[in-house]
Amino acid sequence: MRPGPLASLWWTGLRRNLAMTAAVIVTIAICLAMLGAGLLLRAQVHTIDHYLLGQLEVVVDLTDDTTSAQRAALEDQMRRDPAITAVRYESKQQVFDRFRRDFRGSPDVVAGVGPGDLPAALRLTLADPRASGDVVITYTGLDGVEAVRDQRALLQPLYRFLDAFTIGAFTLAAVQAVASFALIYTMIRISAYGRRRETAIMRLVGASNGAIRAPFVLESAVAGVVGGLCAAGLLVAAKAFLVDGQFTRQSAFPLFGWPAVWTSAAAVLVAGLLASAAMASVALRRHLRV
Amino acid sequence: MIVLDAVSKWYPSGLRPALSDVSAEIAAGEFVFLVGPSGSGKSTLLRLLLREERASGGQVVVAGQDVARIPDRRVPRLRRTVGCVFQDYRLLPNRTVAANVAFALDVIGRPRHVVRSVVPEALDLVGLGEKAQSYPDELSGGEQQRVAIARAFVGRPRVLLADEPTGNLDPATSIEIMHLLDAVHQAGTTVIMATHNAALVDAMRRRVLELADGILVRDEAGGRYDTASLPLPPQPAPQPAPQPSPWAPAPRGPVG
Repeated sequence: MRPGPLASLWWTGLRRNLAMTAAVIVTIAICLAMLGAGLLLRAQVHTIDHYLLGQLEVVVDLTDDTTSAQRAALEDQMRRDPAITAVRYESKQQVFDRFRRDFRGSPDVVAGVGPGDLPAALRLTLADPRASGDVVITYTGLDGVEAVRDQRALLQPLYRFLDAFTIGAFTLAAVQAVASFALIYTMIRISAYGRRRETAIMRLVGASNGAIRAPFVLESAVAGVVGGLCAAGLLVAAKAFLVDGQFTRQSAFPLFGWPAVWTSAAAVLVAGLLASAAMASVALRRHLRV
Repeated sequence: MIVLDAVSKWYPSGLRPALSDVSAEIAAGEFVFLVGPSGSGKSTLLRLLLREERASGGQVVVAGQDVARIPDRRVPRLRRTVGCVFQDYRLLPNRTVAANVAFALDVIGRPRHVVRSVVPEALDLVGLGEKAQSYPDELSGGEQQRVAIARAFVGRPRVLLADEPTGNLDPATSIEIMHLLDAVHQAGTTVIMATHNAALVDAMRRRVLELADGILVRDEAGGRYDTASLPLPPQPAPQPAPQPSPWAPAPRGPVG
């Protein structure tokens, strides 16, 4: 069918069915906004990961009675370990200096610790900081080793927090997707009823199945795109007002940038278009005999 | 043009077949009346020709195609070679007369310049050129049926099926519609008209196929509506005015 007659079928269908279409658009918009929020949270996790991983080390605390031979043996083993790219020794005094620097904001804590209280340490830079678990296991309990500390473990609560929100967002998106399907299914049924005369005549004069289905799929796809645009607008607003407005003052870790927003918005739009058109096609199998 | 070979049709809930062992052959360019009481199988026969239903047994051939065997995606092409007119006109109430006729071409993807030139032509031929911008509810029944005929014929089908096209019309208007269908026939279209209008059948004296309880009981050239039970009033046959053939099917053959 040419675009003109198709658009006219779509337009009369929309006027007949405005309230239902509005409901579909709102539901799809919420669904896609949740999907986009989940994508942005994942982008945030990646941003933090990317920023911190270069700085994360595994710290091997040495016992106070470690002999220089034991230390040499440890360092030797570490330099041959492919998972470790660099080994750096810090004496008790250096560890104490670092401690005072890191906790300069908490003088009470520094006051209670003397230069001899903290163990000397080997600081390891890993080829892949995500694979720190194996390194921790390898060196724990070796002669002269008191403890192996993975700095990344300190970040676990933050990651768990972000992951929980991501899963929550995706779950909500899935629930809304089910609601969207139910609404599109109903919209198609109402629309098929409203357009039954047109459909009957199209069949009679030999319109192809594709031409008979096209107005319905178009109806649903347009609702999907409009819902997607609303969701993309919500994501942009969230970045502009919520993230950039409220969270920029903290400086512990960087926030995701605009590229992540554009990527998520585009993904959300495409998902809205394709999913709603596909849902309409499924619903049509049930409601339209061609 | 149409071959029925031992065609039977059982509906799942039916106690007896809607059609039973019907055989007939209709040549290209013939005009055939299909008569018989309600429930005798006339509509079923027309539905078989359109592949709205499939025969339970036997073979239905339309324009060289075995209707039951063509794949679903080719059914639209079959329907483009067969036009249809119904008792209840089936016009779209929210579209003008011209838009109703154009709709039949739009939905099969004909280009706009074709639609623009062919639709006024078709409306002129049925005598409604001046009512192109009216809506169906502003027209009389006869005028609405003319629009329906224009819509059925605008795609230049090779066969026109008319299912009681005069069933809702007064006798005078029925004769006008009959003339229109006859003009379509004169232009070379095969016309099959199911009807209860005895006066028209008796006046036209064309080939008559009579169904009773799904059985073909009569196939008579130049027949009357019912030789047995209807007394025939003597009346002159209204002869259709000879027309040049603006209805002639396009030389390229079936629209497809």
